[in-house]
Amino acid sequence: MASLAAPRRRGRNPLAAEDFFAGWVFILPALIIIGGFILLPILIAAWTSLHNRNTIGNVNEFVGLDNYRHIFTANEDFRIALRNTAWFSAVVVPTQTAVGLILATLANRKIRGKTFFRTAFYFPSISSSVVISMIFLWLYQSNGLINFLLQKLGLPTPRPPWLANARGVFGLAFDAVGIGVPTWLEGPSVALVSIMMLNVWTTAGTMMVVFLAGLQDIPGDVYEAAALDGATRRRSFFDITVPLLRPVILFVVTLGLIGTFQVFDQIYVMSAGGPAKTTTTLVFLIYTEAFKSGRGLGYASALAIVLFAIIFVLFLIQRRFVGRTEER
Amino acid sequence: MQRRFLNRGLSRRGLIKGAATGAAVAALAPAGLGRLTAAAAQEPTTVRLVSPPSSPAETAALEALLEEFAAANPNIRVDYQAITSEYNTKLQTDLAAGSAADVFTVDSLVMPDLIAAEVMTPLDDYMAQAGFTAADYFPGLISAFQAGGRTYGLPKDFSTLAMFYDPQAFEAAGIAAPPATWDELRTAAQTLLDATGQPPIVYAPSLARYIAFLYAGGGRILSEDGSQVTINSPEAKTALDYFYGLYTDGLAATFTDVGAVWPGAAFATDTGSIVFEGNWLLPFLAENAPDKQFRVAEMPAGPAGKATMAFTVCYAINEASAVRDAAWTLVSYLTGPEGMAIWSDTSGLLPSRPALTQAYVDKYPDRSAFLAGGEYARPWQLGQGGEKFNLDADAELQALFSGQGSTEETLARLEEKANEDIRLGTAPVATPAT
Repeated sequence: MASLAAPRRRGRNPLAAEDFFAGWVFILPALIIIGGFILLPILIAAWTSLHNRNTIGNVNEFVGLDNYRHIFTANEDFRIALRNTAWFSAVVVPTQTAVGLILATLANRKIRGKTFFRTAFYFPSISSSVVISMIFLWLYQSNGLINFLLQKLGLPTPRPPWLANARGVFGLAFDAVGIGVPTWLEGPSVALVSIMMLNVWTTAGTMMVVFLAGLQDIPGDVYEAAALDGATRRRSFFDITVPLLRPVILFVVTLGLIGTFQVFDQIYVMSAGGPAKTTTTLVFLIYTEAFKSGRGLGYASALAIVLFAIIFVLFLIQRRFVGRTEER
Repeated sequence: MQRRFLNRGLSRRGLIKGAATGAAVAALAPAGLGRLTAAAAQEPTTVRLVSPPSSPAETAALEALLEEFAAANPNIRVDYQAITSEYNTKLQTDLAAGSAADVFTVDSLVMPDLIAAEVMTPLDDYMAQAGFTAADYFPGLISAFQAGGRTYGLPKDFSTLAMFYDPQAFEAAGIAAPPATWDELRTAAQTLLDATGQPPIVYAPSLARYIAFLYAGGGRILSEDGSQVTINSPEAKTALDYFYGLYTDGLAATFTDVGAVWPGAAFATDTGSIVFEGNWLLPFLAENAPDKQFRVAEMPAGPAGKATMAFTVCYAINEASAVRDAAWTLVSYLTGPEGMAIWSDTSGLLPSRPALTQAYVDKYPDRSAFLAGGEYARPWQLGQGGEKFNLDADAELQALFSGQGSTEETLARLEEKANEDIRLGTAPVATPAT
């Protein structure tokens, strides 16, 4: 075999060299763009994170891992931001995935006005997040639409109003039944939960579109066979739709995880990290440290690398749990 | 006004106003620039100028002033750009990229950090040649832009905090004169509350407002020489108990409580009858509530007497500029006797030169309370790291106003944060402008 294969390979050598060259030429544009605008900045950020470098750039000294040491041992804001982001992700990712799946299942049915509903649900996702955030800013005001409707229904409204309320929702719930709780049991603030709701509302549409594509890949005869076997609609949803959608769910959860850990624009527009830092997320903290704290770009880069590591580890973990398609 | 937006809780207001200002600036710019270009002679030196104007009216006033400058200096062409949001961020990145303008404005709060970064040309030699001295300016203003015996910027103008009140509401409740002390303020607020059932005072739980009460109560954030954090003192507690007590006793509401974007908006819509704001509220009222009846009085005096804050920005020259001489010609015009006389007249902002105060009061007699405050105002400045401390302090005050912790705990946390954020011994720090 080897003696047969070797001369053939040698015989095709000039052509192979040409292919090799042509191949590189074809991927060169992508290589330059990915290398220059993604890979290189990541490497520069990693290198910068080992420096004490102010934003203006006249101070730039190598400090090794000092920035990382400070982040993990001395930066109270980092712990606050990590906690806020974890809450944000823990609430938003499952909710938007569930809502997206339900919407997709509904929009996949043969109902009248299907296209209208699909468009309506997807609309928030394609609108500018800044514009949507501004609209929600008005809705959440003390004299805004949400409070107006609550008052009409005779329900209590929060004081301070939604986005200015730093009280934790668990703390408030415990207060309602007359139990005082320590600060660490307070949970995410009313302001953060308000922004979570906005985020679920805008992102569920995107997830719906992805789920719709996944649903349409499931052959109809599987459902027919199940129906013949006497499966209820509920049973076929949980035992056919959900398992067959597993790769799509992995994709949606991964996108959701990355998106929620990188949330910035809604926070910047609606609450600027306040009140009392209860909506300061990791990316908002990176922005603050880079431009407002005087710690500068080296420190902010270190935070960005830490964020990257967190997302990466979380992705690996959830791939183990959600992505077990091969085993089935 | 950029300084009003330093309050991060209000930054979304900056965004809203920024969008509006941006549109207005875009509409104004072509006409203004065209006239500037026409006025310049052949082969002029171009000086780039950036600043964050507070309103379209301020941009228009500055462009008119630059036209006057162009007429007097045909060999210099000024290329003005208004930055309507995230000014400090943009300035830092432009300086880092080497693309910053030749002349830029710097807020007093961030000045110590920029002085430490050595990005501005000391103006002392220029000033000596042109016959300018520091004594030409209010000491409380120019001291904010000096360090190590050098002057890095000249104050463009300033605003002070004062008490805006609604004379009709006062009359209806039977209050004859505006409250001049803390006790009188409480009494007046109680009377107004009894008359209307609404909290009469609308304010912001922010350091930039509490600090005026802190000084009036005899407290300080840093010691006189700036070497020690002194915020956790009995005087500071008295001041915070008073400031926060207005809220807990129902005499005051925060602007978010009443659904306003900032306290000024609540005042404009008659939701509050007393607000503590600066003269930046005047153009806002003229634009949004032209029929609003209001008066302005000095901040009520506390146990330690009268106190207010001076919010100011300076014009500074980029150290890396290739046209520093021409840049100085521009700065000396804008902050000199002639230019500033026109500026304070057209913009309505307070002249930073005491020599011009009489002309200002003659033109704007109803604004004398702001200038009276200028006599004893302290600069809005907390040393290097002051911007970070301002953010952290606002967060602590917001937590207090959300019912978390006591005033003692808040002050202890402020002390901790000040020690962490502020680089001690990096004066200039707040001293009374006596």
